Amino acid sequence: MASYHGSSHPEPAKMEQIITEIFPKSLHIILESRCPYVSSRNYSGEQGFSSPSPSSSSSSSSSVRPRDKWFNLALKDCPAALENIDFWRQSNYDPMVVDVVLVKRSSDWDPSICSPRKVELGKNFPGKDNFLWNSEHDEFEGGVKKEKIIERWIVQYEGRKTNSNAGSPVGKKSSSTSSSTVYKKSILLLRSLYVMVKLLPAYRLFRDLMSSAQIRMYNLCHRIHSFVEPFTRREEAEMQKFVFTPVDTSCGRLCLSVMYRPSVSDVSSEPSTPLSPQFIPDYVGSPLADRLKRFPSVPVPQSSPSYPYGRRHSWSYDVYQPSPSSGIPSPSPTYSESCATISQSRTKCLPPPYVVQQAADETPQLYEKNTGFHEYWPSPTFSPSPSPPTHIPSSPLSKVLLRSESAPHSQLVCKLSGIPSPPLRFVRPNSYKLDGRSGLLQTSSAAAKLSPYEKDEGGKSPRAKISSTSSPQRSFSRSPGRLSFHDDYDEFSGPFVVDDDEVTDLGSRPGSSDLQERHSCMEEPGGVFPHKKSQDAAVGALICMLKKAPPLGVDIADSVHTSQTSKSEASRNFKDPNQTAAMSGKQSARSLTSSRLLPSKTTAAALEELREFSKMKSEIMKQGKRGM
Amino acid sequence: MNCEVCQLKELEVEHFQIREVLRCILHTILFHRALGLVKPKDIDLELFDITYVQCGDVELERKIEEKIDLFIDRVEKHPNKKNQICLSFYEVKNRQATWFTNKVERLYWEQWYINLYVVQHPKPQHGKSHHSKILVDPGESMSEERTARRAALESSLREILFHIIKFVNEKKDHVPPIPNLDGISFPYEITISSSSDSAFGMDMLKRMLQTGHPTMLS
Repeated sequence: MASYHGSSHPEPAKMEQIITEIFPKSLHIILESRCPYVSSRNYSGEQGFSSPSPSSSSSSSSSVRPRDKWFNLALKDCPAALENIDFWRQSNYDPMVVDVVLVKRSSDWDPSICSPRKVELGKNFPGKDNFLWNSEHDEFEGGVKKEKIIERWIVQYEGRKTNSNAGSPVGKKSSSTSSSTVYKKSILLLRSLYVMVKLLPAYRLFRDLMSSAQIRMYNLCHRIHSFVEPFTRREEAEMQKFVFTPVDTSCGRLCLSVMYRPSVSDVSSEPSTPLSPQFIPDYVGSPLADRLKRFPSVPVPQSSPSYPYGRRHSWSYDVYQPSPSSGIPSPSPTYSESCATISQSRTKCLPPPYVVQQAADETPQLYEKNTGFHEYWPSPTFSPSPSPPTHIPSSPLSKVLLRSESAPHSQLVCKLSGIPSPPLRFVRPNSYKLDGRSGLLQTSSAAAKLSPYEKDEGGKSPRAKISSTSSPQRSFSRSPGRLSFHDDYDEFSGPFVVDDDEVTDLGSRPGSSDLQERHSCMEEPGGVFPHKKSQDAAVGALICMLKKAPPLGVDIADSVHTSQTSKSEASRNFKDPNQTAAMSGKQSARSLTSSRLLPSKTTAAALEELREFSKMKSEIMKQGKRGM
Repeated sequence: MNCEVCQLKELEVEHFQIREVLRCILHTILFHRALGLVKPKDIDLELFDITYVQCGDVELERKIEEKIDLFIDRVEKHPNKKNQICLSFYEVKNRQATWFTNKVERLYWEQWYINLYVVQHPKPQHGKSHHSKILVDPGESMSEERTARRAALESSLREILFHIIKFVNEKKDHVPPIPNLDGISFPYEITISSSSDSAFGMDMLKRMLQTGHPTMLS
């Protein structure tokens, strides 16, 4: 009995004290391990008197805090519990219901809100003069939150009168209800309560909230009532109950019970425990990993050992992996290279500075747009057959392109497209445009060279990856592509958009700086890019080019200025000795239309050009003869 | 005085798990029997996702570690035997000095039996051949097995902790009055026995455990 202080009091008073004290003590035990404000885990053993409870009903005073002396259990400070303790001292015959609530944030979370700190939801207290119970604040206000009661602790003193139907053999032996025995049993009850609190699944959530520096998507809070809010039938079915053996007293019994969810992992969105090494095999066996395993079986010529694979989003590149190999018959290092930058830039998700500069207003959306892009792509997992990639990307891609086309920024970029600075050309919307052009160009056999763009400029921006990845669209049906790019062409080169032939013209036109720059872009990598075009096609293209060469002669300036697309002027072109082939009026008109855009040239420049052309022609002729 | 006996369900553990499992069980029991003033210490197991409570008594911790060392020693000497560790609580009664005896009598009032079966699992490379898939992918299936075993042991261990809580709750009358304010209020002893020779006894215990009743002898 030495442990029981206040032994000078008469028996009933002692009993009442024990009953009174068990409420705050059990509340303290529970909240200490459920309320993530105070860590009960970094216990140093030194307890300060920072917040002594002045109203403690314990009469004894010693070096040990009176609060700790009760039930011989020293607990750490827990403000949440201390705030409520006195109330329960005054009303010990009310049940104390402690609900532990898991509050889960939805996606639009704010880190400052989710920081692990105590959240005590305000609760009106009916029957207690509307006693406002720690109506501290609802810190989750403004965000969508999901609450779920994961534990309900009920501490209750059942007086003798009320427990007539309980049927418990109260007071069988007088010795079993002496205050010392009750006290001892209360100690035992609280010991097992203490262990139980650590054993239930909610403790893991608490532990994670306390231990990790990361911001969690959930928090724990608690509500204290003096009545039981009934659960729904479904909620009740989900919960398990553990009833602690009541402690019989001389005039009633102390009851303690807990209802808890046996599994809280499904409630919390994230793993409640750090992944232990044992879980990794499962992870490897996951569909994602399977994809990685399956990958080498795909006949990809450029699957170099160092093939970089973004772990998370790797599936999205897979779409493209087979397509370059099948769509473009040559193993082009270009593709693997651009893929490397893709995976890098995707994982990092950092737009390069120039993108920020150029598309400052768009940058915040970058990530989301990318995600949308990802989502758009059908996961190859669902297309089990290695069907020609022609069909897989076609429709989603066109959707994506259409969508991005509508971005307000595309217009600006289109206008900038003439500037030969590669990064500028590869800001995303522009890249689509280029893709579109290439998609159109590749249809004409003369100029199926689009990858040089990626080679030159790919990987310089996260957008570039889109252009490079979408280049396999060479195989996608042309009509949607043209539809989607129509606006673009209207913007910057309207006249050329009418026909495929004209697009070819655009590419082969050696006039304007804009076109010339493009032309060189197309021309120069012809050797590098090992795509074999047919000899005849090449010859045809060159002849076509020569046919449409700008008129020479002294009156070129005139032709430029007065070129109102008159037939007479067109006929004048026929006088040119180098224009051997017959040319239709339509064609000449077109050439004039384009030449109108050109700056006037000197005769020397024209002659230089002519010489180049004749040289090329003779070369082609030689090649053609060899081919024959 | 009654001596309550609690037989805890047998656990199949691997050698490296012995220490943590024993620590967890012994400390949990002792926390429930340390009725003096204690400052509880929460300990997270390293191998399992379980937190148990210690009394925060250095001397007790030392003694438990000692006994666990002894137990592991015995397991190494007698492999493939069912080993038992018994935690007993007693009261000391000075018997009236008779002619030759002036000894202190121990009155046991509670005994906890912890049954461990230490299994020797083969290393992955010499995998058991009873699974055909082991041949296909030994490493993976072995680690899967291992994970499953660990999870099973974790839930069994948790079950045992619940069992201890239940036992403590249900049986309170036999606990002697709290003698002092010291944390470890009652004297206790930890004994180790190898029960492989008494196969009959183990069978008995198993049958008793299967019926689900807490074994109680008096």
